[in-house]
Amino acid sequence: MLDLDVVERLARLAGRLRERDVDVCLSDEIDGAAALVLVDLEDRGEVRHALRAALKIRRSDWETFDELLQGFWAADGSPAGPAAKPPEPPWRPRAERTGRTPRWRWMQATGQLPDEPGREPTGGDTPGWSADVLLRRKPFDDWTADELPAMERLLALAARRWKCRPGRRLVPVRAGGRPDLRRSFRRAVGTGGEFLALARRDRAVEKPDVVLLCDTSGSMDPHTRFLLTFALSLKRVVRRCEVFAFNTSLTRLTPWLTPEKIGPTLDRLAAGVPDWSGGTRIGASLDEFVTQYLDTLSARTVVVVLSDGLDADGPAVLASAMRAIRERARKVIWLNPLLGDPRYRPEARGMKAALPFVEHFVPAHDLESLERLLPLLAAGGGTRRGAGPGGPPARPAEQGPDPRGRAPRGVEPGGPPARQGATGAHGTLRGGPPGA
Amino acid sequence: MRPEVRETQAAMEREGYIAEPGIATAVYLARAMRKPLLVEGDAGVGKTEIAKVLARMLDTELIRLQCYEGIDVNTALYEWNYPRQLLRLRIAGTEGREPAEAEHMIFSRDCLLERPLLRAITRREGPPVLLIDEIDRADDGFEAFLLEVLSDFQVTIPELGPVAAAHVPYVVLTSNRTREIGDALRRRCFYLYVEHPSFEKEVRIIRARVPEVVDGLAREIAAVMQAFRARRLHKAPGVAEALDWTRALMSLRQDRLDVDTVEETLGCVLKDHHDVQDLTARGVESLLADARSSTTADA
Repeated sequence: MLDLDVVERLARLAGRLRERDVDVCLSDEIDGAAALVLVDLEDRGEVRHALRAALKIRRSDWETFDELLQGFWAADGSPAGPAAKPPEPPWRPRAERTGRTPRWRWMQATGQLPDEPGREPTGGDTPGWSADVLLRRKPFDDWTADELPAMERLLALAARRWKCRPGRRLVPVRAGGRPDLRRSFRRAVGTGGEFLALARRDRAVEKPDVVLLCDTSGSMDPHTRFLLTFALSLKRVVRRCEVFAFNTSLTRLTPWLTPEKIGPTLDRLAAGVPDWSGGTRIGASLDEFVTQYLDTLSARTVVVVLSDGLDADGPAVLASAMRAIRERARKVIWLNPLLGDPRYRPEARGMKAALPFVEHFVPAHDLESLERLLPLLAAGGGTRRGAGPGGPPARPAEQGPDPRGRAPRGVEPGGPPARQGATGAHGTLRGGPPGA
Repeated sequence: MRPEVRETQAAMEREGYIAEPGIATAVYLARAMRKPLLVEGDAGVGKTEIAKVLARMLDTELIRLQCYEGIDVNTALYEWNYPRQLLRLRIAGTEGREPAEAEHMIFSRDCLLERPLLRAITRREGPPVLLIDEIDRADDGFEAFLLEVLSDFQVTIPELGPVAAAHVPYVVLTSNRTREIGDALRRRCFYLYVEHPSFEKEVRIIRARVPEVVDGLAREIAAVMQAFRARRLHKAPGVAEALDWTRALMSLRQDRLDVDTVEETLGCVLKDHHDVQDLTARGVESLLADARSSTTADA
């Protein structure tokens, strides 16, 4: 039988762990209590091991756990040292500390600042005119907050057409696939042992997981808001979507992104992400991702990096981080808003270092270019294992003389809206890659 | 330390598994509370070995379910023996049996092929150790199914009805963390994260598993392994590699490590092309120097 005092201490410990974002639930606490009955309470090492097993503390949370465990032993149950501070909301303090107001166009877009005049789309009465087509090719710099819902609608449309790769699991199908003996037999029983029709099964359709790494540095300022909106839309259609923001360091955004509140969320992010709109250290940030979050990558993960590749660090760190990501993920896609500009050449050192590990290098300056991304996410990636950094880099330059230049293999904008756009798409996607 | 935990630790050591208190405590608790034990850690730190040792300790059968992408209930739980069923159906037809009787003949236990999960549940001779290896490779659908089996230890075969466990098996799940295991499954288990062994522990492991090794060599190998892991490699070598390497050196009749020997046998330890390149670029000498300085610092 456990001392009531011990149970209380355990509950307090669990509460403090939760405050520090270590996921401990009631059933874990019960496990913990049951485990404490079985171990020597005098032996601190043993209690530590037992609680670590019973509360299911992940390796990455061990330091926090050990720190809070000190409080478990203290007479009054109060944690010692730095843990005594109440947890701070993740967004406030940093902004206050740096004293920086986000230099960000969100205020302008929400109408808090006067917008430039004469930007309204024209032509409402012309036959065949569709607001969608214009919207789809409107550079992100020119978007206003009112148009965000339209953007979401368009993205949702595109997502619906999204084809997915077949998985390995077999599910019953009406035709095609391979014979399913189990179900066939079951059916045959009903017809006296005669197999009138074979039941069949085929590979289930699988949607990939997506990990988005968004550059939120100053050079990306005009694009970030829309790319994050895109991230939100994406989050709704893929199975699992993790979103990270980086500039000088890395922040996991996934828990903060909820579909209902794009505007408020973005405001909060602007205040919460350290150095939002500051400088960029892409290499260091991706390296941080590799050390901390490599677990989020698996054979079905597509990694999308949204960045202009203007890195303040040396290229070696970036290259090594990109290699680690590439080895683990199914596919790496790099979205570069600058690629929409015909004069752009990927000559920044960082961009050059990263390119060998990127399978698709695509522009991201307007909605249409984002739509092109969807089929890339879905198309099966067989090249993951084989092509190392020695393999052919997927530079757009190698796509040949296709007028759409940059659209890599397998990109076929399907469905009417996409085709509509494709007729006039060349304008926005021109600007052949360098070195071609 | 509780005597039971110490006893677990000693028993594991008798079976050739050097367990530090953390591992022994988790194994003891999982055993005592009959909860599945979820073991995570890098490749080659001895996760699977825990289940094998547990089976030997308890002197019981080890039933292993190797997970892979696309594993489904048919391969994990049970499958009907279709040729036999077909044969019986024909016989029933020619003998003119009643339909109910025929059905009974077809869907009987001897037409059932037991797969690991069902076998673990129905084993009569006492609880086995069920090893569900590399659960992270299976998809989440399978994980959800596993959840059901692991909480009730009862499965339902539609044609036969529910089959309850004769004895609740000891379950060990391992994961290489290629993906995060779902929270629900994690909650059902006790959790153990196995790290790469310390220098002293690795020396003991090498000597326990390769008894013919000379002490000096075991220490040298362990030191070099530590030096390897201190570098940022793409695939850090685990204990399994250390043991392979020791055996390789033994069969080459080497009793100490020098630059040539390391270069010749590097394939036992480094399994990644880039790591090998990296090491050759920096020179094996520097690695050996690192290893030596770390051991002298320890001593």
